[in-house]
Amino acid sequence: MPDFTEMQRDALGELFNLGVGQAANSLSLMVRDEVELSAPVVELVRPEAVAATLLGSEFKELSMVTIDFSGPFDAMAILLFPERNALAIVSHMLDPGMSPEEMSEFEQEAMCEIGNVILNACMSSLANEFGVEFHGGLPEHHFSDTDSLPLFGETDDQVVLLLQIRLNMRQERVQGHLLFLLSVSSLNALLECVDGYLARLGLS
Amino acid sequence: MDGELGKQLIDSLRIGVILLDPNGRVIAWNAWMRRHSGLQLADVSGRLIAEVFPDTANSRLGIGIEQALRFKLSSMLAPGLNPGMLPLHQKPADRKLDRRMQQLVYVTPLNHAQCACLIQIHDMTATVRREQRLRAQSSQLIETAYRDALTGIGNRRRFDHDLAERFRQAQQRRSPVALLMIDVDEFKAYNDHLGHPKGDACLIKVATTLQETLRGQDDGMTRYGGEEFALLLADTTLDEACAVAERLRQGIQDLRIPHPNSHGPGHVTVSVGIAAMVPTADQLCYILLAQADLALYTAKDAGRNRCMCYDPDSGEANHCR
Repeated sequence: MPDFTEMQRDALGELFNLGVGQAANSLSLMVRDEVELSAPVVELVRPEAVAATLLGSEFKELSMVTIDFSGPFDAMAILLFPERNALAIVSHMLDPGMSPEEMSEFEQEAMCEIGNVILNACMSSLANEFGVEFHGGLPEHHFSDTDSLPLFGETDDQVVLLLQIRLNMRQERVQGHLLFLLSVSSLNALLECVDGYLARLGLS
Repeated sequence: MDGELGKQLIDSLRIGVILLDPNGRVIAWNAWMRRHSGLQLADVSGRLIAEVFPDTANSRLGIGIEQALRFKLSSMLAPGLNPGMLPLHQKPADRKLDRRMQQLVYVTPLNHAQCACLIQIHDMTATVRREQRLRAQSSQLIETAYRDALTGIGNRRRFDHDLAERFRQAQQRRSPVALLMIDVDEFKAYNDHLGHPKGDACLIKVATTLQETLRGQDDGMTRYGGEEFALLLADTTLDEACAVAERLRQGIQDLRIPHPNSHGPGHVTVSVGIAAMVPTADQLCYILLAQADLALYTAKDAGRNRCMCYDPDSGEANHCR
């Protein structure tokens, strides 16, 4: 199982926090209210461990937004919230009076956009600081449950870069996760970018 | 594909298509865009979207375009979060009223020397309108489902829901919750003597008076069933609940609705059973109901037209202090 150094971990943490900070600004603008986002911890885990360890009991029904990115490294980026939390976010953004039961396809679009804002902000932060270019597709939204997560554990040579994400909005605190599903070779390419970035800062 | 076919294709599409060059300047603007913006290609060609539509300057659309041009990232903008993004209108008449089309927008990067960004715009106005209509209907249905058809106050479903909810809140906050069970005295005799239409009118009058006597401080009056009403009061002690109960009892007595067949004062009265508690985490809400019920039946046995409350120390009902 590949891993990263303390230095690489800190650098990635910082870059992702730059990204989610940017995303928080965009979201605040959209809802005309303060939205805070933070992603405090970066971890590297095996795909099959994602469903088992992290998603545990509270994460039975999931709302996920995925975007495929390709460039110096390829990744499927995933924003994942427990379904209840996702519904709470969207109803807060669209209409605070709306109950989660009233959610429809229409609100799934909104969730899709929120995922789009957060994931793009993270990737553009990386692209910007690494001086590279990615091609990012359009976001897709799915409801899923932990048992039928199709994305994880299909092949042996994949790893997941995992970040916890906290979203504060209108006195409400919502927890979710950011996942980047990468092949081992893509992870190595990512770490090369990180090393290059650290070298430019004179930190390696 | 030759240029002429390409042009015919994008002009035939039922969505808005804008193409931008690597500097974000407009190079294509299809027929749909011309129709719904009122602007011709010549009006917009070579200009930035932010110049054509100044209110997109610092918007999410502006950021999406920048991300597509600089980082080759795609964006989607949903109508729910970005109502009426661009000044596009279904009909020219809507433009005068500034009634904008609801739009779903996709911004995607292109790998082409001249074309760097594609913007697609879908008209979602009908969908958004249908969605609003459905939501309004669903809210109305929910409201109807919780309202008693005869009296217009909350029904049994409302009560069951509120009881569970208020009890849970009281458990969490360790605060008192009170319940009043109110029963019209000798209502069967009233009904038998005067007939059902009069009986219904009496129930409506009683329900309305109970609700109004609360003076809007709480609209939680519900019809529990038949001639029985229930009121839940959050953050209310037994003494406070007794005061409310007495006011309600008095209010009904003051109506002086004739009750020719009663054993009492000759007009319609109510008996009230009261219970209040700070519930512990392992208690069930039905305890409160059973206590208020016991108090109500004690009030009936003691001669009706009175309020009695459950005393947790003795497990019996007493007169309110």
